[in-house]
Amino acid sequence: MPGLRAALPAALLLLSSFPPAAAERLPWPQVPGVMHPLNPSHREAVWAAWTALHYINSHEASPSRPLALHKVVKAAAKMIPRLGWKYYVHCTTEGYIHGENAGSCFATVLYLKKSPPVVHGKCVHAQNKKQIQEEDHRFYEYLQHQKKPITANYIPDSNGNIAHDHLQLWGLAIVGSSYIMWKQSTEHTGYLLAQVSSVKQQIRKDNAVAFKFIVLLHEIPTQQMNVCHMYLVWTLGHPIRVKYSCAPDNHGLEDGSGQDSGSAAGTSHETKGNF
Amino acid sequence: MRALLLLAALGAVAAATTENFVGHQVLRIVPSSDAELQKVQELQELEHLQLDFWLSPRGLGNPVDIRVPFPSLQPVKAHLEANGVPYSIMIEDVQALVDLEQMQMLRRRRFVPLSTSTFDYTSYHTLEEIYAFMDLLVAENPNLVSKLEIGRTTENRPIYVLKFSKGGTNRPAIWIDTGIHSREWVTQASGIWFAKKIVQEQDEGLANILDQMDIFLEIVTNPDGFAFTHTSNRMWRKTRSKRSGSLCVGVDPNRNWDAGFGGSGASSNPCSETYHGPYANSEPEVKAIVDFVKSHKNIKAFISIHSYSQLLLYPYGYTTTAVPDKEELHQVAKEAVAALSSLYGTNYKYGSIITTIYQASGGTIDWTYNQGIKYSFTFELRDTGRYGFLLPASQIVPTAQETWKALEVIMAHTRGHLY
Repeated sequence: MPGLRAALPAALLLLSSFPPAAAERLPWPQVPGVMHPLNPSHREAVWAAWTALHYINSHEASPSRPLALHKVVKAAAKMIPRLGWKYYVHCTTEGYIHGENAGSCFATVLYLKKSPPVVHGKCVHAQNKKQIQEEDHRFYEYLQHQKKPITANYIPDSNGNIAHDHLQLWGLAIVGSSYIMWKQSTEHTGYLLAQVSSVKQQIRKDNAVAFKFIVLLHEIPTQQMNVCHMYLVWTLGHPIRVKYSCAPDNHGLEDGSGQDSGSAAGTSHETKGNF
Repeated sequence: MRALLLLAALGAVAAATTENFVGHQVLRIVPSSDAELQKVQELQELEHLQLDFWLSPRGLGNPVDIRVPFPSLQPVKAHLEANGVPYSIMIEDVQALVDLEQMQMLRRRRFVPLSTSTFDYTSYHTLEEIYAFMDLLVAENPNLVSKLEIGRTTENRPIYVLKFSKGGTNRPAIWIDTGIHSREWVTQASGIWFAKKIVQEQDEGLANILDQMDIFLEIVTNPDGFAFTHTSNRMWRKTRSKRSGSLCVGVDPNRNWDAGFGGSGASSNPCSETYHGPYANSEPEVKAIVDFVKSHKNIKAFISIHSYSQLLLYPYGYTTTAVPDKEELHQVAKEAVAALSSLYGTNYKYGSIITTIYQASGGTIDWTYNQGIKYSFTFELRDTGRYGFLLPASQIVPTAQETWKALEVIMAHTRGHLY
């Protein structure tokens, strides 16, 4: 069987060059360059789709209408030698804030060993792009005109409620958190925003709008809650700027939910998918 | 802990009248060196500052919580900063918190349901309210429902299971549990709704099943964790067991079962959310169910309910090896999901745990399946991440309704294929 003989050395090469996440890997033949169709139910497909949406939300979508995954329609993966697995995903989306049909996206996600995943995505929007831009514009102006800094805690609250006034603020938190989640995502570790613990506007002298957030990110499959301090600067028409520092929620050392602020002289911790 | 102290403070306020906490802050210091610890202990000597230690200095790595009255804030912070002791502000304004809690307590006291008809199924409830609901349901339906105590938690709370039975002796049974992971609030809330639904359907849709089988329903499978999500940390998942030698609390009850225990798919780190525990069945919450299942000997379907992700799963989680009954379980799951989706169009996926969600060892339904309970399933209810664990209360009833459709399929199939 000539085909098999050619494939085997390549497969062995792969097994030696990648650290064995043996417990995680599904039994696909690991032949480079070959497109493997994935069952849309399989977790790799779902997580690749979310990684793509995190990237898209932080780079392209708006605080008024960030996107959430509705369903993976089709997915495939290909091993790129010396780099990693590249996922091809076609998914439908829904509005993160109101759950309405938002269209669909095609994306590729290349998971690298030491850098954030490389994402290329293109979305077809079911919504009126102009209307979304106007909403962003109105929200931006509203924030710029605040004399007293806007503050809020626990969005959503324990019962899943979000005050109407806080919906767009939540959208902004989603966009900022998506930047963190995209950067942290790996093939085996995914993230979703669990809650905004607190948000405080920072009034600036320039045109930009700035916020200090503390957000909780749900890490899967470790099930950990990561507490991220996020400083976000939004200038309309420009990519969002995010500075962040995350650490696992110290649930062992304290009874509370770890809402920190003030001069905690902490170091910046990077979260690890520690499975 | 904090809530208790706050309530004590509230009680003190109610009694004394004039003390208020406006502008008071609660600072947290976690001393990481002897020098830092000493500086914090020094604060205890300074009586004129009127500091109130909610958590006293105990040693390195242990948090110290101090309520600082407004006039003392500046000198205390200056003392800490000058000596390089890091601190964080746990509560920015103690009075605001006291006011909020007082408001919430008054609101809750206003309405205590006197029957399961006036119980609010569209809200999330506390442990006390759920336990009261159970007693009401039993009192209203003494011929169908009884309450069993199957064990006690680490913190000595009773663990209750509702038994729905029309008679017979040790009939083949269906088991449903919700709330094994305490932060998954829509599951306990759905469990309450299921309990009421079973009573309502006993002579209608469930007549065929209850004529031959019993149903066991454990609504709050992790009472300690659940209480903790109300008082301290809404995102608490595990049990609340403590182990000497570790500062961290709790074991993942869905990694503590004797099926592939300790293997890949669980953590040996006590601080991890998927910590499997020191040995299988170390957790009383798990052991209680294990003992129950083993002594009953006649359970035919076992359904353990979680959130979130919108999945219906069958074993295994600890290995990629397929279960012998895979084809049948896959078909049942397919039908159950179709029934679920028919109600509101909610999109569910289904498959084995390991292929659909992730590898997990020591899981509940891996153990129950290996005990011979063929129809072992796990649900992950709404949603898929927008709200996650913080699912709006308005979605409780729709979630319970659609999940019930899936449960009906599983129960009917079990009834029609008794083994």
